[in-house]
Amino acid sequence: MDRETIARVAKVARLNLTEDEMERYAKDLDDILNSFSVLDEAPAGESYSFNPIPVVDVLREDEPAQDLDPQVLRNQMGAYEDYVRGPRLS
Amino acid sequence: MSAVYDLIRYAQLRHRAFTEVVDRLDDGKFHFSAKDNLCADGFQARAGSAVLDGYRPPFDATPIQKMKEVGGQLVGKTTMDEFGFGTFSTNSAHGVPLNPFDLERSCGGSSGGAGAAACLIPGHIALGVSTGGSISGPASFCGVVGLTPTYGRVSRHGLIDYGNSLDKVGLLARSASLIAKHFRTIAGPDPKDPTSCAQPALPEKGKMPRSLAVPKEALQNLDPAVRSSFHDALARFKDIGVEVREVSMPSLRFALPAYYILATSEASTNLARYCGMRFGRREEELNQHFNDFFTGVRSESFGDEAKRRILLGTFCRMVGFRSRYYLKSLAVRQLLIEDYRTIFRDHDAVVTPTMPFVAPRFEDISRMKPLEMYGADVLTVPPNLTGMPHVSLPCAYVQGLPVGMQLVADHWKELDLLEAASAWEKAFEYRFPEVSP
Repeated sequence: MDRETIARVAKVARLNLTEDEMERYAKDLDDILNSFSVLDEAPAGESYSFNPIPVVDVLREDEPAQDLDPQVLRNQMGAYEDYVRGPRLS
Repeated sequence: MSAVYDLIRYAQLRHRAFTEVVDRLDDGKFHFSAKDNLCADGFQARAGSAVLDGYRPPFDATPIQKMKEVGGQLVGKTTMDEFGFGTFSTNSAHGVPLNPFDLERSCGGSSGGAGAAACLIPGHIALGVSTGGSISGPASFCGVVGLTPTYGRVSRHGLIDYGNSLDKVGLLARSASLIAKHFRTIAGPDPKDPTSCAQPALPEKGKMPRSLAVPKEALQNLDPAVRSSFHDALARFKDIGVEVREVSMPSLRFALPAYYILATSEASTNLARYCGMRFGRREEELNQHFNDFFTGVRSESFGDEAKRRILLGTFCRMVGFRSRYYLKSLAVRQLLIEDYRTIFRDHDAVVTPTMPFVAPRFEDISRMKPLEMYGADVLTVPPNLTGMPHVSLPCAYVQGLPVGMQLVADHWKELDLLEAASAWEKAFEYRFPEVSP
């Protein structure tokens, strides 16, 4: 895996990598993906599912309830009054 | 203070099994612990990651809530690899658990603390979580019983996700009977986790497996002592009237890559939520662009293996690679489910060793490359990838260290596995280290 590719992947993943990390992870991913190329020999199955068991839609009664106190959740997020603090968007 | 509490503290201080423990035990309650990726009111939930330092969830995960409802006291949170990313519990920001049989060796991962707690504290029941072998592995290295239920059998409400199509909450303890008792407690549908709502009801009783299949492909690249111990265990099964037959399952060789591709793909999206705002560690310098803000927190807080898996999973999902890796792995999972089912037409369970070797020394682990570490999961990944229930049982001791074997059954047949585990315990005596707190 070349340096440009690993840098592109890291950017998508929102990770800053040092030069040393870049080199190391590129080598690791190369080793791993080369080993995983055995998958090319697997039959191309037509059917697959995103879960190993059938998952069905389940509906529950539409009853109003308060599971968690929103104030408690705001506390976890370091809220200021009724606002959630965050970084600049532009 | 009680002898049990002394053991809990011993397991915490000497073996680093716990990240946090309670100050005292409540009268009349049984003691259980939870892996640190299960949320519990009153405890931090950090999943072995510095990015979650300080996160205190205001609720109990459903399995913890159910254990409390039947008289359990949550006595501590157990150490683990960061978000479950590891085979030896060495990838943790909050301490590496030390093996109960040898302090210089690994407990296995990623539920390493759970394995140590279950081994060191008689009568203790530990809630573990498995994505690719994180219950079986520690059970094998710590010499305890570890049950990984069918995917969807136990609610995951309150579990900090690793891989959504793979994560399962299960149990570790010194005996199958203790696990059987508490498995009934935590199993069952929960509207807060839709994947748990498709399950059939648990039967009154399991059916003792009478025929075991041993895939010959699973017996390659084993430590000779593990191979020999496993064959002795098969002979013992025959002695108690269980038929054992060798079978072939060539698709097993695809399981490891398919698992790592699906697991890291799912993990790389799940971990996107850790951005320094909603959970745990908060970046105070807000006068930055949001991209720099998120990237800074993530780069500083995630450990080495977490970064590697995020990069691998992100790559496998990228345009141009998705079909080759992600979609192919989904198809391979289906192929493996069908191959297991073919075997289950003639046999009640599949049996293999749990791990290819006994608990390794930390100095040997430090020399292993990532690919070698992933390879250690080769026997635990197939049932995890396919969502099949499995149980790891101690089956031998090599130079004082436990060897585990793993039985796999068809979806929803956990009680059959526990029948086999119970029969095994009558034929084979488990050993536990002597502890003097």
